[in-house]
Amino acid sequence: MTVRTADNGMLVLEGVCPVEDAEALLQLLQARPTAALDWAQCSQLHTAVLQVVLASGLVPSGPCGDAWVAKWLTPKPLQKG
Amino acid sequence: MNALQEQFVTEARELIRQAIDDLIALERDGTSPERIDRVFRAFHTLKGSAGVVELPAMSIVMHALEDLLAELRRGTLGTSAATIDQALECLDLVSQWVDQFEDNGSLTAQADTDGRVMVERLRSFLPQQTEQPARSSRPIGSDGPLPEWASALIAAEREALASRLGSRLSDVFAISYEPIVGCFFSGDDPLQLMRQLPELLALRIETREAFPPLMELDPYACNLRLQAISAGEHDEIARIFRLVPDQVRISAVPAEALPIRVFDINDGKGVLIGKVVEAQIDLLRIPNRRDDFAGCVGAAAQSAANALRHGDYPQLAEMVVRAKALALSQCDAAPLLVALEQALLALDGARSLVAAEDVDGSNAALADAAQRPVQRVLRVSEAKIEALVNLAGELVVAKNTLAHSAKCIEEELAGRGAIESIRRDHQAIERLVLELHGSILQLRMVPVGQVFQSFPRLARDISRQLGKKVELVMRGEGTEADKTIVDRLFEPLVHLVRNAMDHGIEDPGQRLVAGKPETATVSIEASRIRDRFLVQVADDGRGIDPGVVRRKASEKRMLPPEELAALTDEQVIELVFAPGFSTTSEVSDISGRGIGMDVVRSTIEQMGGRVSLQSRAGTGTTVQLDMPTTIALSRIMVVETGGRLFGISMDAVSETVRVTPDRISQIKNNNGFVFRDRVVPIVALAELMKLPAQTKDGTIAKLLVVMEASGKVAALEIDAIHDRLDVVLKPMQGLLAGARGYAGTTLLGNGQVLLVLDIKELLP
Repeated sequence: MTVRTADNGMLVLEGVCPVEDAEALLQLLQARPTAALDWAQCSQLHTAVLQVVLASGLVPSGPCGDAWVAKWLTPKPLQKG
Repeated sequence: MNALQEQFVTEARELIRQAIDDLIALERDGTSPERIDRVFRAFHTLKGSAGVVELPAMSIVMHALEDLLAELRRGTLGTSAATIDQALECLDLVSQWVDQFEDNGSLTAQADTDGRVMVERLRSFLPQQTEQPARSSRPIGSDGPLPEWASALIAAEREALASRLGSRLSDVFAISYEPIVGCFFSGDDPLQLMRQLPELLALRIETREAFPPLMELDPYACNLRLQAISAGEHDEIARIFRLVPDQVRISAVPAEALPIRVFDINDGKGVLIGKVVEAQIDLLRIPNRRDDFAGCVGAAAQSAANALRHGDYPQLAEMVVRAKALALSQCDAAPLLVALEQALLALDGARSLVAAEDVDGSNAALADAAQRPVQRVLRVSEAKIEALVNLAGELVVAKNTLAHSAKCIEEELAGRGAIESIRRDHQAIERLVLELHGSILQLRMVPVGQVFQSFPRLARDISRQLGKKVELVMRGEGTEADKTIVDRLFEPLVHLVRNAMDHGIEDPGQRLVAGKPETATVSIEASRIRDRFLVQVADDGRGIDPGVVRRKASEKRMLPPEELAALTDEQVIELVFAPGFSTTSEVSDISGRGIGMDVVRSTIEQMGGRVSLQSRAGTGTTVQLDMPTTIALSRIMVVETGGRLFGISMDAVSETVRVTPDRISQIKNNNGFVFRDRVVPIVALAELMKLPAQTKDGTIAKLLVVMEASGKVAALEIDAIHDRLDVVLKPMQGLLAGARGYAGTTLLGNGQVLLVLDIKELLP
């Protein structure tokens, strides 16, 4: 599982996060909408997962482990459409 | 409805109206980029806000409408009347939905079906997909003007873009990729496609519609739009998106839109040369170039040296060439890098100067934007303003009461010093209250343009329907009047404009025969003269023929023949305002069945206004509506009869006279007297109000108020005339709401409730 809740309660994205992670992450966020999110260990982010992160309105702690995402989509990942 | 939904309804209506205006203007004046952009923005906002309040049908329809507009912008589709008709029809549907949403908070099931039908019809206007291969060199997307998002992104990322772009003058493309909602199910990863973009310069992701709350989020419905600026090859970019050609749009970014142009413009100070040298440094610093070391160093040195020579820095060029030889001999780029950096330092003075200018320039632009006067608008609900108006009205009444008390005290304490101070304070309060009342009434003042806005559309539709060419001219849109008046003005104006176009304006053929331009003019003009608000509707059509009106009136037996014969032509023309009068022989669905003009008159008169009409056969007709600018304060006359007080609107009073009994004669069953060559019937107010008849001395002159309303003249017999007052008229409420014959009530200074009579209803 590349989405998990760490011991300190933080939601952690790790490794290559595939499309399925979107649902898993969403369920965790629905249970705890204000949870802190750590994506530093995520090496590749699927669009669907990124969309859930954006929809949650959370600002993950630190830059994304996916270097491309970190370079191009921080610090303001989302523009209002 | 919650606040968000209310705001949606208000904004949607404004946007629809604005889009309609612009579409009509597009049809009339041809496409202009600014106007199309404005319509685009309106459509886009409508689409987006429909998503926010969860009206998918509306989002889908607006999306299809955007596609249609995109084709218009691209020029593949002309602004033919049929296209504009379709777009307008679509906006009508959306407008109906907004009404429905306002009433029920949702749309009926029918909306989905209607929406699908509308989308089909809009799509039928689009060029067929099979035509696509014709543009083989640019297979995907299209080159239109630079999209707004791209300009915004370039502006936001200006600095980063400039450094990433360096001094290159390559083609730059703006890519907007809008994956379909179900793209994740077909295995797409939109980010993955964006990652492949060559020479990425900037990237942004936006939502197509606002995200729903997390609990309602569908994680597998893609709601993103991905946008990028790339300096890669067009064909390479197109290849990346070859499987989703319908979801991507690639537009070339004109060179002048890029930040590098700033440096070009400021060239001559070694800036461009600096950029060239800088680019070589970047190039040399790229690792893993060992395989082609010599070529790389040689090329970098050559480019830099050429640039330096070109910029009249031969010594620097020489230095670079020497460093190149050293670097090649040592198989190390370091000496060249050092030389290049030294050259850069030498150029630095000039460059930092330009950079400072650039910064100043953008700061100046920012400051300029901040200083530009921004008209801020505060939305306040009408009910709140209404409450304020009522309170201010009551304050005026209370002030009147105070005047009454002050007068009483003055009489009792005549000559004392306290009187002076009471009088002074009273005057101050009176002034302040009136000012306050005036300012509050100003809150209700709205420009009449609000009402005018619907007319270009109306005129266009009618002229198409009738096959007449009509130009609608509107003037004085900024003229302000009370909101109630402006709102109520709509229906009368619709009647007048329809009448003008249907009955007034001749067919194009007839106009040419009459020596008039084929295109007729109908004008609506608003103006303000002192406290009167005038609106005039004029046409240059055939005018009203008094002969025709006379014949119709006699056919319809509207007046006894001898009375009709006695009327002047001007008076005859006024007959068009009479109920049931219609001059066209055939009933049309444009101006209806001749109910228009009398409705116009009654509506305007209800607001305390007057309607007048001038017409000359062959040259046109002008109808003038003369209304007060505000209806919150009415001027009344307080009269007494049978021991009771009543108010009469001063608008209806033409004169007050005392008439001796010998001038009064019995006409049929009524009393009457001759006044200014007219026989005026006399009505006793006491009798009208069913008050006990008072026995009076038959020899005393009667006090009469001559009233004129709706063309009727009568004299009201009363016992006494009291004050003339400016009052706030309150409509009859509660049990009295249905009572006829009263215009409303007001409070007198002594706290007594005064009934104000509606003379029009009372006169026989």
